[in-house]
Amino acid sequence: MNKILLFFLLITSISFSQTKISGTVTDINGGTLQSANVYLKNTYDGASTNTEGKYSFTTEETGIQILVVSFIGYQTKETKLNIEGKELTADVVLEETASSTNTVVISAGTFEASDENKSVILKPLDILTTGSTADIYTAISTLPGTQKIGETEGLFVRGGSASETKTIIDEMIVQKPFYSTVPDVASRGRFSPQLFKGTLFSAGGYSAQYGQALSSALILKSTDLAPDTRSAVNIMSVGFGGSHIHRWENTSLSGEVSYFNLAPYYKIQKDRLDWNMFPSNIQGQVVFRHKTSETGIIKSYASFSDDNMKLYMNNLDHLSLKDLYALRNDNFYMNSSYSDILGKEWTFFSGISYSSDIDNIGINADRIRTKSEMSQAKVTLSRHIIDGSFLTFGGEVNEQAFKDTYNQYGRDVNDFYTAGFAETDIFFSNSIAGRFGLRLERSSIVNKLNLAPRISLAFKIGKYDQINFAYGQFYEIPEREFLFQKTGLNYEKAIHYIANYQYIGSEIIFRIEGYYKDYKNLIKRISLTDSIYNNSGKGYAKGIDVFLRYNRFNDEGLDLWLSYTYLDTKRDYRNFPTIAMPDFATPHTFSFVFKYFISPLQTLGGLTFSYATGRPYFNPNNPVFNGDRTKDYYNLSFNMSYLTNIFGNFTVVFFSIDNVFAFDNIYTYRFSSDGTVKEPIRATSSRFLFLGIFLSLGENTTGF
Amino acid sequence: MKNFLVVFLLFISAFISAQEDKYTSAMQKNLLKMDSAKTTEDFLKIANSFERIADAEKDKWIPYYQSAFCLLLSSFTDSSNQNKDSYLDKADMLLEVADSLQHNNSEIVTLKGFSAMARMVVSPMERYARYGALSNSLLDKAKELDPNNPRPDYLIGNMTLNTPEQFGGGAKAALPILQTAMEKYNKFQPETLLSPNWGKNQLVEILRRIEPADSTKDMK
Repeated sequence: MNKILLFFLLITSISFSQTKISGTVTDINGGTLQSANVYLKNTYDGASTNTEGKYSFTTEETGIQILVVSFIGYQTKETKLNIEGKELTADVVLEETASSTNTVVISAGTFEASDENKSVILKPLDILTTGSTADIYTAISTLPGTQKIGETEGLFVRGGSASETKTIIDEMIVQKPFYSTVPDVASRGRFSPQLFKGTLFSAGGYSAQYGQALSSALILKSTDLAPDTRSAVNIMSVGFGGSHIHRWENTSLSGEVSYFNLAPYYKIQKDRLDWNMFPSNIQGQVVFRHKTSETGIIKSYASFSDDNMKLYMNNLDHLSLKDLYALRNDNFYMNSSYSDILGKEWTFFSGISYSSDIDNIGINADRIRTKSEMSQAKVTLSRHIIDGSFLTFGGEVNEQAFKDTYNQYGRDVNDFYTAGFAETDIFFSNSIAGRFGLRLERSSIVNKLNLAPRISLAFKIGKYDQINFAYGQFYEIPEREFLFQKTGLNYEKAIHYIANYQYIGSEIIFRIEGYYKDYKNLIKRISLTDSIYNNSGKGYAKGIDVFLRYNRFNDEGLDLWLSYTYLDTKRDYRNFPTIAMPDFATPHTFSFVFKYFISPLQTLGGLTFSYATGRPYFNPNNPVFNGDRTKDYYNLSFNMSYLTNIFGNFTVVFFSIDNVFAFDNIYTYRFSSDGTVKEPIRATSSRFLFLGIFLSLGENTTGF
Repeated sequence: MKNFLVVFLLFISAFISAQEDKYTSAMQKNLLKMDSAKTTEDFLKIANSFERIADAEKDKWIPYYQSAFCLLLSSFTDSSNQNKDSYLDKADMLLEVADSLQHNNSEIVTLKGFSAMARMVVSPMERYARYGALSNSLLDKAKELDPNNPRPDYLIGNMTLNTPEQFGGGAKAALPILQTAMEKYNKFQPETLLSPNWGKNQLVEILRRIEPADSTKDMK
């Protein structure tokens, strides 16, 4: 028994020999790390670091041991220690793990709204709550780089015309993203912001995965499976609608139908226009989602809409006469895509889309019919290379068919477009990244190949700030109306040079971006007597965009941002007699967006103020082309969403006023052929009120 | 020789039980610390301790669970949204390990639901569609896996209580759910000394606070 006693004595004596291990844990910049976990592997022995990054613990272990140091957001480090009973010090330096918050983001020229990516400037909700109309384009037009254009729809970006911005839904170009409308009346976007989980607005220098936009790309990513089964009823001052969403385990299907008619509103609140038939619209959409696996998803979307309106317009050449302008538009759009992750390295996307848009226009006794169709297919493959770097490549084909008739005359033209692209995102380190892309395009009408290189570089210079540079060449086939010429056409071209500095903190976001854009081969009329065009036009745009946002929405319900756009642009294109500033550009544009959530009232209020200097307009009496300027533009819009409960159903009451103070904004002027009569073009109504009640019905209608 | 064998076996079993005792006492010590923890640093420190135990006892799910639970609590005490998300990233990672050790365990699934809830709380207006739905489905699954587990009901009730009435929340809507949770707590017996056994005291407090409020409302 003595032996055993001795043995136990030995054991206890061993357990008494404790070794103290201590040290400091810092990051690579020497900053101390609090609450790091320091311990000997496979033992309980360890400690957390204190406010000075210091730790200290004792252990009974001896021999070669592994000291583990781990901290949230940092790479775990293991060090070998030889414990011989002597006190030990071990200082450890940890490196941050690459994550969306500490890794450089390639972001020259872009504003991204997403929930998935943490370091973004906007959130999808911002799109819905900015401006008075819950329209994607209205929200985007509060960002720097865009112009305030009221008489027509579209995004006019950095001296570019509306056709130089393309809307891309799930990787594919949308031919007609706006509703059809009559001259001098702007329409809104066809697609509800609620269809999308991500919005990326590129004001220049965008990726080689996209083409056919000289200036800008609005890249929209549609939502995945609907979260739950529910129905909705919408009652608005301008119409009504209903929808139903059904959710199964891996599938969701939704249908929505709406009817809009401006007659009741315009009867109460007279507008400036002389309507023969108030605008009305009937539309419907179907959204289908199916998860094929943990990572794979099939998305399908289809919509139709039918618009009708008739109005009398002043005939400036015969003041006693009015022209009756009638419009009926039929639009159908569908897209379908399948994407998945293959193995560990590859992700792939494939999609098809089709759209058909027919305008039937009547001007007095004349009948005009314009039809535009687009069929499209795209495949993209992406392969992970190393450390977040990846290679993306793919191709797309589309066919556009245009057919016009004017009374008994007709014309038509088709274009077959093919493109291939390859792009690589390389992360040289956590703080330096580059995107290098090439795009090869061919259009059957132009019958030439073009090669467009794109480069974007990003350098992280501090915890929250980085600088970005981008260069890119962009091509676009001439606009629809010029394609009927069929021969002698070339691609219009723009070259972008962009440099920016951005700071993205948790509350403050600041961005300043300077750019120069060189326009080449723009469409230019070459005959005084006939409509013959070639690509001898040119131009430039340069400017500075500034964005500042202060966001305390989650804590105080307060969010505001300021945008300032400085633009200097001139071009000689189309029927310009000389190089001049186009009528869609102005030197200074300023927007201020303010949002405040009043919790006791469950109300989100928003104000958007915009100011822009006057725009050039063509005055036949002025020898200087586009030498006249409209007066400055002012607008203050207000919106309010009240969250409530009606008969146990979650309800949002949305109320908005566009142009609260009824500023008399003149967008441009029209002249009679002889130049003696001048008519200002204004907004349809000086102030526009909207009221909508959106009821959500379903088993689970709690907002949370 | 025989003697030696007996002594050896005795020693081995003593060693094993000492190891078990070491585990139990270390776990208990940290569970006790949780009661007095208040700040983010307190919770992170305890999360670290549990993680050390988890790392040494790789086949036990409870240390992973407890470490994740402390990180979840840290996400509620920390003021920086950026930190909150990183704590929750780590908590989710630990819960995945726990899940792989003990698949379809109601307590682990409950904590996953709680984590989704914590994600939503970071920015409710932006995240409710995604994380609200995820949290609901996980907590429903946890109830299915063990109908006697009071914690899913407690979390659902608590969330309902903190949801504005307009969204179908408020004390009136929460009360029956919380009362169901209380009934389940009263019957609940943790499997072992170290098994999850939290929430009852907090629920007692909540019920004390809202039950009279509810009766005054009825009197109006």
